Amino acid sequence: MALNGIQIFKLTPKKNCKECGCPTCMAFSMKVAQGAMKIEQCPHMSDEAIASLSEATAPPMKTIKIGTGAEEFTLGGETVLYRHEKTFVSKTRYAVALCTCMDDAAVDAKLAEIPKVDYDRIGERMYTELVYVNCDETADAAKFTALVEKAAGLGRTLVLGCTDPEIAKAALAVCKDSKPVLNGANASNYEAMNAVAAEAGVVLGVSGKDLNELYDTVAAIEKLGNKNLVLDVTGADLKETFANAVQVRRAALKDQDRTFGYPSIVNTVKIAKGDAHMQAALAALFTMKYGSIIVMEQMTYAEALPLYGLRQNVFTDPQKPMKVEPGIYPLNGADENSLVVTTVDFALTYFVVSGELERSGVPLNLVINDAGGLSVLTSWAAGKFSGNSISKFIIENVEPKVKCRRLLIPGKVAVLKGDLEAKLPGWEIIVGPREAVQLVKFLKDMQ
Amino acid sequence: MTLFETVFSGNDAVYGLTEQAIDNAISQYGADKAVSFPNTAYSLPCYYSVTGVKVGTLAELKEALGVVKTLMTREMKTHDVFMSGVATALCAEFIEVLKYIDGAQPYEEPCYGHLADAIIRELGVPLVTGDIPGVAVILGKAASPEEAAALVKSYQAQGILVTLVGDIIDQLAEAGMKTGANLRVIPLGKDVTSVIHVVSVALRAALIFGNVAPGDAGALMEYTMKRVPAFVNAFAPLNDVIVACGAGAIALGFPVITNQADVARVPKSLICQTDVSKWNATSLEARDIKIKITNVDIPVAFASAFEGEIIRRKDMQVEFDGSRVDCAELVQSCDASEIEDHKITVIGPEADEMELGSKNSIAYVVKVAGKKMQPDFEPVIERKFHNYINCIEGVYHTGQRDMQRIRISIDAFNAGFRIKHIGEVLYSQVKNEFDAVVDKCEVVIYTDPAECTRIRHEVAVPIFNKRDERLETLTDESVDVYYSCIMCQAFSPSHVCVVTPERLGLCGAVSWLDAKATNELDPAGPCQVITKERVIDENVGSYEDVDEAVAKFSRGALEHVTLYSIMQDPMTSCGCFECICGIEPFSNGVVIANREYSGMTPLGMTFPEMASMTGGGVQTPGFMGHGKHFIASKKFMKAEGGIERIVWMPKDLKEFIKDKLNASAKELYGIENFTDMIGDETVAEDPETLVAFLTEKGHPALGLDPMM
Amino acid sequence: MPFNQKPQKFNAKINTVTIGSGDKTVSIGGNSTFPFYSFDAPTENTAKVGIEISDMGLEGMPESIKAFYGEAASMADIAKKAATVEGADFVVLSLEGGDPNGTNKSVEELLAVVKEVADAIDCPLVVEGCKNVEKDAELLPKVAEALQGRNVLLMSEKEENYKAIGAAAGLAYDQLVGAESAVDINLAKQLNVITTQLGVNAQKIVMNVGSAAVGYGYEYVVSTMDRIKAAALGQSDNMLQMPIITPVASETWGVKEASASEADMPEWGSVEERGIDMEIMTAAADLAAGSDAVILRHPESVKTISAMIKALA
Repeated sequence: MALNGIQIFKLTPKKNCKECGCPTCMAFSMKVAQGAMKIEQCPHMSDEAIASLSEATAPPMKTIKIGTGAEEFTLGGETVLYRHEKTFVSKTRYAVALCTCMDDAAVDAKLAEIPKVDYDRIGERMYTELVYVNCDETADAAKFTALVEKAAGLGRTLVLGCTDPEIAKAALAVCKDSKPVLNGANASNYEAMNAVAAEAGVVLGVSGKDLNELYDTVAAIEKLGNKNLVLDVTGADLKETFANAVQVRRAALKDQDRTFGYPSIVNTVKIAKGDAHMQAALAALFTMKYGSIIVMEQMTYAEALPLYGLRQNVFTDPQKPMKVEPGIYPLNGADENSLVVTTVDFALTYFVVSGELERSGVPLNLVINDAGGLSVLTSWAAGKFSGNSISKFIIENVEPKVKCRRLLIPGKVAVLKGDLEAKLPGWEIIVGPREAVQLVKFLKDMQ
Repeated sequence: MTLFETVFSGNDAVYGLTEQAIDNAISQYGADKAVSFPNTAYSLPCYYSVTGVKVGTLAELKEALGVVKTLMTREMKTHDVFMSGVATALCAEFIEVLKYIDGAQPYEEPCYGHLADAIIRELGVPLVTGDIPGVAVILGKAASPEEAAALVKSYQAQGILVTLVGDIIDQLAEAGMKTGANLRVIPLGKDVTSVIHVVSVALRAALIFGNVAPGDAGALMEYTMKRVPAFVNAFAPLNDVIVACGAGAIALGFPVITNQADVARVPKSLICQTDVSKWNATSLEARDIKIKITNVDIPVAFASAFEGEIIRRKDMQVEFDGSRVDCAELVQSCDASEIEDHKITVIGPEADEMELGSKNSIAYVVKVAGKKMQPDFEPVIERKFHNYINCIEGVYHTGQRDMQRIRISIDAFNAGFRIKHIGEVLYSQVKNEFDAVVDKCEVVIYTDPAECTRIRHEVAVPIFNKRDERLETLTDESVDVYYSCIMCQAFSPSHVCVVTPERLGLCGAVSWLDAKATNELDPAGPCQVITKERVIDENVGSYEDVDEAVAKFSRGALEHVTLYSIMQDPMTSCGCFECICGIEPFSNGVVIANREYSGMTPLGMTFPEMASMTGGGVQTPGFMGHGKHFIASKKFMKAEGGIERIVWMPKDLKEFIKDKLNASAKELYGIENFTDMIGDETVAEDPETLVAFLTEKGHPALGLDPMM
Repeated sequence: MPFNQKPQKFNAKINTVTIGSGDKTVSIGGNSTFPFYSFDAPTENTAKVGIEISDMGLEGMPESIKAFYGEAASMADIAKKAATVEGADFVVLSLEGGDPNGTNKSVEELLAVVKEVADAIDCPLVVEGCKNVEKDAELLPKVAEALQGRNVLLMSEKEENYKAIGAAAGLAYDQLVGAESAVDINLAKQLNVITTQLGVNAQKIVMNVGSAAVGYGYEYVVSTMDRIKAAALGQSDNMLQMPIITPVASETWGVKEASASEADMPEWGSVEERGIDMEIMTAAADLAAGSDAVILRHPESVKTISAMIKALA
């Protein structure tokens, strides 16, 4: 059970020394309770207090880091099974699979295809973060190492799928500095694989023929002192894989069973080989339910556009709605003489409104300013979407660039009309419809 | 004759006729002859729904008549009258079904006679939705064809379904009125027994739309009483048979209105109204039918798009200004008998009798009546006036009570807008939005300066004072229930506000009275009643009932909530709180920050930082979101000692709440000018400076027990 | 020490609602676990997939779907072909052409289409309104009347018109009621409460709790469904135990990821593939969150999602 801020505060030295960077011990305690700071960041905390707090505040699921530099990713560290209970913290990462079983042409084509998907969506870079390099049974160290080197050339973080400790060791020799994952420990090889992973300082992926075997293997590896793990929950078929993914996460978070408190790998290539549409469905399914790394055969725009949109939504903090950058967004080929329309920066509102505006086909300039990421009525009520804030933004940012002096405001804030007229001399303020779906008709009638 | 005797005699007469008719039919066709109404799956619908028994032959009909006879008890009690009424209706159905023997078509244009199931399914939907707000059953002969037509048209205009029995059918034809199901005027037949065909509609509706089991007479009557908004208009002279049928109607919950002066009256059920032109209003009131107002009858547009319009002096025809002359706006609940619905009166000059650009007095009193109306709702309705009047194109409204200001633009005036139209708007909006509590509404607008002065000082101000007094005396102890509010759950799934008289919603927007009104107006909505019968600890404000409600409305996310403590199970916050208070350990007190304050607090946290840990429906002991007005409440963190724990708040907030907070502190602790002891950003933004300030001022919190 | 498996058992379950009449019916709901959690308790009914056609025929449909049905197909042809798509459990007829702000077809015109479609197929049928509340209040009762005996599900009953549609579908003509609310657990519940207060049997209600394409505020859809299932099973809230049906196609085919032409967005590649994957991924996510049935348009999506459901059963 996590401690609350008051309980933590009682253990602090109560000196307000500010050495942790917080102005007061109270502020520090509240941050620790939220998980935003670590108890060790207080230089005056007694060892005794730290020990008792670490135990109480230790997360049920470990946070595992893979990759380096800009390609470093955090997996796990989740505290809830449902996003509405608090928030999900570590995004699912997607890997495109290469295999020693592929011929050179296929490998080259894949390597050429991967970097093509790279774009920005609401301030987030969307691309294939990981490459999964699989070593099939017939491959030897030289072949696998060659493929790994080739894959490493992309600069993406690697996940090595390999169950032979010797081959793995050879491959890690050429890529361990980029902190790949070595996915290949099982009940029969875990001691050797653990040694290889530990020596290279990389995260070890563990699998088992069923949940019991996986559980025992993880426990055995933990006994060897390694807690830098991910769990490959892929089973013989989809049903088993889904059951594994859910039960591992649920055991960790709901039942506080820390042996399963690790991030997961789901390999859709194993359970839906060659079926791109099924893999797409499974990528969505396991993004919803507890896949930390999902392996697929391809990530073209067809997969990426919906999948990254889904991930961005699912991993949004419910307390902090997604916001759109303030600015002027010209739609339908708008120019400086086109009508100006404004709404709030709440991403959902923006998407719905811009979608309807695009549907209307009418050229217009959609103006978004900082409204706190709230919906129209909420931001209006909070004073963040007001005559002042809108007129200030229009005068400073829109007037220098746009010649049109007609502004359409959402019908829900019709009450702002008079105020805006007073604060924006020369502008005609038009009250739009209350709901976005009525925009197409409204604009059509306005023409 | 007493009413009892009349009904019994009518019933006996009809029974005799029925028995004779059945016997004649049996002798003519034989007992095995089939009897049925066309196009219905419900046999003889009335008999079937009351008894659950289907009748298919003359022999069975005869048997059924025996059952009817058992209803005809003569004990001189109300029940006997009702049952005799029902028996009369069933006899009428038997007589009518005999007319259909051998596939005969006893009715011809324009009369319908028996109505098919398909028509009932079709009419049933608008009846359930309220598109057909009522069903009028008109019997007999009006004084003239014109009177008949006027009455029927009055119902037609309201969308009420009209069924006709007797001579009025010919009278309408004479007056040139078209009839038919598509016009919602259905002539049934000329014989009084044809009235059964509308009863048959009501009873089949209960079977089809109410899922009432045939034979469950209790459920049947409850359904017709509650869900079928029918009533009877019977023209004099009434004979015994009609009165007996009327008793049947009353048994089903349908009031009877007649102009027969000497009829024995039964309150709410058998009503005499000699003026037929008032039958419409009398019937609607008796059956509790409310007519939806779909359009506002004014010469300018009415829409929320005009809410933000400002009328400048140069564009203004006339203005009314409560800050300069006597004005008032008021909702007054009255008895229904004192009000004429939709009456709008202007006392004093109209807008066209006022000078261009002049400043005038105005006082409008909106009188409302309703079975569920409570004086506590008056201010809730009144507060909407600002919004209503502002939605008129070319009219502008600010302020409230006796300080409102209204401007009417030259454009609106030229379009024909007058002061009486303000009455139209208030009438239609109050009736529409508050239809759950307002049955009747009348508006009186005073523009005569002397009258305005009288209304303001002698009527409105005393009422305002009384309301304020009530608000002040309204305490958590003085009420029986609290209310939940879950309006914010869309973005804060597990948050539940418990709204009490002394603790308004943390957004500052929902008071106990608002929550109560919301609950009355929208019973399945976001505000639900929370009882407070099982006290756990009065001091911290914990109740088993409150805990259960919170667990239910948070869907198990919260199990315990206290009303008056910030340390033990404090109330959660959604994120829309006006203020947050947080424990300041070095002074044994609490710091309060409001949303508008952007600086640092002595906690070492800003408002957004405090908000990030307090919102989202989680309990954070030591921190709590609340409304501004809660600060001065005697219940504010009462469990921890109350308002004397407050050691710091932003200057603006302190100014805002100063008077009330000082008054509460004086009353609770005898401290004068308490706010002078409370720090603000000009004094300290860190705990050390704050404690020094508090020590200098002798703030009481320093001497209290530590809060943790 | 083996893994201590702790199944999550609930005493409550989602209502089973059967759509259609005669030999060909389809049942949705009935489960007492979170979606696909067959390791907790046996699955009563697997999730179902509907294939959507429109009164507008192939007008406005993506090229790939036009190609599937063939350009000159009549409504009856389209319906028949839809019913034979691999994995399709029921056919959904959208009456979008009735929208007064769009094509504004008359009620009579739409009824003719409804009858043509209903006569052409004998599989379970779901009818969606045009989404304009006034028009639907007029249209759907007529549809309910026209399809008496078919036990169809009439979607698009909203708070603004629940009386007309609820009374017609649920009471007068004995069909099933699809209660539609806007991505909020309390609104969903409130609509169920008032619909049942109207007299409609709770066992005859299916919920459409709102939907979105993934990437378009989809987090609200996830949380709404997560919470509804948790309340229905964990809190035994019988006003939230109605099965959930989610129209996917109407949300996904319009977004620019699925509709932008290859000429406009050459780097995005095949527009057909984008459309299919947008539909498939949204459907898979809906099912994972709690939909007991999804409504799709593309035959390939129907096939894939149906195969996924069967593989998870």
